Formats: sequence, C-alpha cells, structure tokens
Amino acid sequence: MKNFSFRMFVSLSIVLLGLSFAQTWDGADDLPTNPLACGEGAGGGAVAMLDYNGGQATNAPDLAGQAINLIDVPKLVGIGYFAATTLGQEQAAEELGNVTVTTDAPTEANIDDQIAVIESYIASGNINGILFAANDPVAIAPVLRKALEQGIHVVGYDANSEPDAREWFVNQAEFNGIAKAMVDSLAKEKGEDAKFGIVTSTFTTPNQARWIAEMQAYQAACYPNMEWLETLEAQEDAVLSFNQANTLINKYGDDLDGIFGMTSVATPSSADAVTQAGLCGEVAVIGLATPNAMKPFVNDGCVQSVVLWNPIDLGYAATYVMRAVVDGTLNPGDSSVEAGRLGTLQVVNGSEILLGAPFIFTPENINDFDF
Amino acid sequence: MAADTAKVENSFAKRLRNLLFSQEGILFIILVLVIVVLSGRNANFLSAANLLNQGRLMSEVGLVALPMTYIIITAGIDLSVGSILGLSAILLGVFWKNLGMPLELAIVLALVVGTVAGFVNGLFIVKLNVPPLIMTLATLAFYRGLAQGISEAKSVTGYPEWFYIFGQKSIMGLPTQLWFFIIATIISIIILRMTTLGRYLYAIGNNPVGARFSGLPVGRTLMIIYGYSGFMSALAAIIFVSRVTTTRSDMGTGLELDVIAAVVLGGTSIFGGKGGIVGTLIGLVLIQLLKNGLALSGITSDATTIVIGIVLILAILVNNFIQRRRDS
Repeated sequence: MKNFSFRMFVSLSIVLLGLSFAQTWDGADDLPTNPLACGEGAGGGAVAMLDYNGGQATNAPDLAGQAINLIDVPKLVGIGYFAATTLGQEQAAEELGNVTVTTDAPTEANIDDQIAVIESYIASGNINGILFAANDPVAIAPVLRKALEQGIHVVGYDANSEPDAREWFVNQAEFNGIAKAMVDSLAKEKGEDAKFGIVTSTFTTPNQARWIAEMQAYQAACYPNMEWLETLEAQEDAVLSFNQANTLINKYGDDLDGIFGMTSVATPSSADAVTQAGLCGEVAVIGLATPNAMKPFVNDGCVQSVVLWNPIDLGYAATYVMRAVVDGTLNPGDSSVEAGRLGTLQVVNGSEILLGAPFIFTPENINDFDF
Repeated sequence: MAADTAKVENSFAKRLRNLLFSQEGILFIILVLVIVVLSGRNANFLSAANLLNQGRLMSEVGLVALPMTYIIITAGIDLSVGSILGLSAILLGVFWKNLGMPLELAIVLALVVGTVAGFVNGLFIVKLNVPPLIMTLATLAFYRGLAQGISEAKSVTGYPEWFYIFGQKSIMGLPTQLWFFIIATIISIIILRMTTLGRYLYAIGNNPVGARFSGLPVGRTLMIIYGYSGFMSALAAIIFVSRVTTTRSDMGTGLELDVIAAVVLGGTSIFGGKGGIVGTLIGLVLIQLLKNGLALSGITSDATTIVIGIVLILAILVNNFIQRRRDS
C-alpha cells in the first residue's frame, strides 16, 4: 500500500510538472514582431521589397490560356470559413471559364491526413495545380515540393508553408494589421486599461501564434496599462472553446473585461458563453469569425466588433493567382498581379500577395454579408 | 499406389479449402476484389510509384499494429500508442535541439522513453491489476499532456539531411520505413508462431487464470509486450518526424483507432486468444489501399471515410457468416 501511494505521488508530481510547463505558454511564437503605429489610420507604411523566395514547378507543361484542373486542399472541410473560400474559388473559376477546381480535405484539421490527401491527388496524375491552406507550415513542405518537382503548380492561401515549397502565397491580411484592429477594438469598447483573456486554436498553428505575438507587441507599445490574463488552447472545437471561455469567466470574474477569440470557432463559442453567463456588456467579445456565425450575438448587442477579411475574396484571389502563374503573367520579381473584381493586388514579403486591410464587421454592416 | 495419390490429393484439397476459408483467406479474397475494382477506376492505382508511396504511408501504423496484435491476443488493449508517439517525437526534438545532444543519441533516448512509457502501462496492469482499457486510456491523456507541456507549444524543425533517410529516402528501391516494417513483421511472425512466448500470449488470452495457475510467467509476458508496444510507437515517431521534417505535440492523435481497426479487421479477436500477424497485415493493406484507391477515383475524403466504414462492417459480417457455416 505504501508502495502504491508512493507511485501515485510520483505520477501526480509528474502531472503537475507537465501542467506547470503548460502554464507558461502565452500562445505567441518567438519570431520578431513589427507593430503598427498607434491610434487611427490604416498604418502599414512602406514595405521593403524583398527578393522572390518561392519555389518553381519543374518542367510544368505550357497551358497558357488552356483549361486547367485544380485541387483545393484547405485545412479541413465542413466549416463556414472554408466553405466561403471554396465559394470564392468557384466564382473565379466561373468568371475565368477555363478553370475547374475541386475542394477536398480531411474533416478534421490534421496535418497527417492533409498530407495523405495531397499525395493521392499527385499520384492520380490528372491535376495541374494545388491550392492549399496548411495545417503545419513545415510538415506540409515535403509533399508540396514533390508536387513542384512533378510540374504541378502550387499556390497557398490562408495558412502558409515554407516559402520554397510553393510558388506564391495569398496573404489575407498582414499579421500586424489584424493585431492592431483587434486591440484597438478592445480599447474602444472597454478602455485603455482593459483586462483580457484569449481563446486560441492549437499550440503550433502558425497564424494564431503570429497574431498573438503581434497583439502582444502592439498592446505593449500603445496600451501599456492593459492586462493580459491568460491564453487558453481550444483546438478548433466548438464545445472546447465554449468550455475554455467559461474557464476564463469563472476564474477571473469581475476582473475580466474582454475575451479575444482567435479562430472562427472560438469567437462565436466565447460569445455564447458570455451570453449564457448573462455578462453581455460586462465582458466584451472581440475576435476573428465569419459574419453568419456572429449575427445572433451582434444583433443582440452582445458583440460589437468582429474582425476578419473576406474569405470569399481570399479564395477568389488564390484562383486568379494560380491562373496568372499558369499563363505566365505572374513571374518571380513582379510587384503586382491582376485579380478580376479585386483589381491589382500587391506583392509583399518576396513571394506573398496581400489581399488588403482587415475588415471590421459591426452592428451597422454585418447584415449586409452572407457567409 | 493409386489410392495413395488420391489420399494425398484429398488432403491437399482439404488443406487448400481450409486455407481459403480461414479468416485470413477470406480477407485476402476481399483484398484482391478491392484491388481489381479500384485499379479499373484509375490507371495510376497499380503503378509502382503509387504502391511504394502507400507502403511508405502505411509503415507507421503497421509498426504499431504488430505489438497491438500481441496485446489484443492476450485480451488486452493499448490506447496510449498515439500519445507515446507524440511524446517520443517531442522528446527527440527536445533532446536534440534544446539539450544539444547528438541526434543519434537523441534517437536512442527517444526509443528508450517510448519503451519505458509502454513498460509503465504494463507495470500498472500487472502489479496493480488495473484493466488495460482504463490504464491506457489514462496514459493516453497523461502522455499527451506531457508532450504538450514539455514542448511549450513550440515545434522543432531543421533536422540534418541524413536524418531524412528514415522517412523520405529509399534503400534498394524500397522506402526505408518499409524495410523496418518488413523486418519487424517477420520477427513478429516468428516470435508468435515458433517461440514459447508466442504460445504464452494465446494461453493468456484464452484463460488468464489457467495460465497463471499453470505457472506461466503471465506478468513478465505482459510487461514485455506493452514495452514492445511503447518501443514500436517510438520507432514510428522517429520515422514520422523524419517524413514530415518537424515535431509537433499533437502528432499521432487518433493513431490508436487506425491501428486497432487494422488488427480487428485482420481477424484478431478482441476477446483474446485468437488471431495473428498475417491477418493484421492484410487488414492494414486493405484499409490503406481502400483509402488511396477511392481518393484516386475522385471520391472526396469525407465520402471515403463512409465507404471504409461500410467495407469494415461487410468484411466482418461475411467473415463471421462463413466461419459459422464452416464450424457447423
């Protein structure tokens, strides 16, 4: 029996040790940050032009102006956000007339399954291009390089891979732009000394970690009196996000002024948790989400600011970029590309194409959108 | 003389029929049918490049399915394999990058940790009589929590070029990890069929109390196979990291389900005492080729999951039906 309690003690201390490790995590990555100027204004400033750092498809057949068959592999299927990017791709395909695009991806955001899906389409031998949104920037790189080696064009959107594993990446919004929009919204709603918590995705999801790092930098520079309470991880899972938002509410009580939702799943779930706790107006929910999921909370007056870009435009732009690559109208070193109804888009960071400034949905405009 | 020949032929026909209507035989026939149907739908399905690539993708699940077959034969289960994979992968990265060890040493230590993690399962199951399902369900959460805690949310990348031999390169035309899998499979078959350890496994699965009273080393045997399971999960982790060039704390999530599906489809009884490695091998190949072949014929992955579920149920129903007829 003594032996048994000793074992229990040891395992318990190991668990606690593991937990104390997890506690130090704030959700940010350790890359350098580049916060924008404080206050009003679009910001941005001059972006230094970097040399092209993408990869190239080897011996790709010349299909300029001819019909091409694309496969789109988002992080997962079955959620509103990627349904919207798919819609944008279909709109672009229809306008262009010579593009077929099929969306196929795992039903869970799992990098191993995503690799297997891409492997299968490369093996099938009947696709000319891959559009992707990576579940992991490094892990997806080998299979994308393999596609490039076989003459298949590769363009990313939403979540990047290592630059040399794809030709171009359509960047929905610069990380510092989103971070500024989020933190400014909180300051506007709850004051410059607000205390907040964050509900984010997984430990290593690149976008969320980058946004949080930029939010940290921007908040430290512009609102030094704000207080960062805690960052909780909730996969991209509705039930888990709801529970994590409740954890924040119960743990910090009156101290909690706002919750940032870092994923399109975490934000509505957090708003739901705040509504059910009867804390509308007390606790602000600000986050990234699609408008349809947020309409009930925005129309109730529980949520004031939903930050996002237009995912339909994102899918649309990615398809136009792919067409331009195949047609030879977008080449390494170019500084812009034509993208149909979106006009001219700028090349940034060497091989990325910037979609534009982030968009904030408010009670005044959210009902104009349907996705 | 003539009678002798007839007798030989008769026994040969009987043996052939037995083989054909065995669990493995029927599965093999289903596998051949699936291959014929799928190869008609996409010309690239049976190409050497595609099949070798499938072998590459299958090896990680396969390596873990070998000890899982042993464990299920003893009426046990190991749900923690995916978490042990994640923990070993993270530790490989931490030992090498954060602690500055040579990568060779980090690989050895990651294998040791995986094996110890398996032994801990075995220890609690044997010494404290915790049911395997409960013990490994607990360590499924515990090892994953450790992996996430230790990794501090960071992934480790930038491994040296030589390390990619395990996951991305080939030796004599076959993907490296397929060699690992083939060798491990042969050893596992030999142990199960030709050694006393193998006989112990069936004895424990059929009648654990009887086995114990017959003086078999039940505890030691169980410790060995759960340790083996941990070792193989760690080996799969190293191959996985080499294949995707990075470590993440969520690696191997859900692996246990793929592994158990292959083993059970292969005819190993979840109640213990029955089954074998050859069945597991066929189950494994069947699931992998179905996934791949359906994707190649343009069926999206959500629909593929449904089809695989249906095929699993059908295969088990057909098998049960024929086994019952044969027995009666």
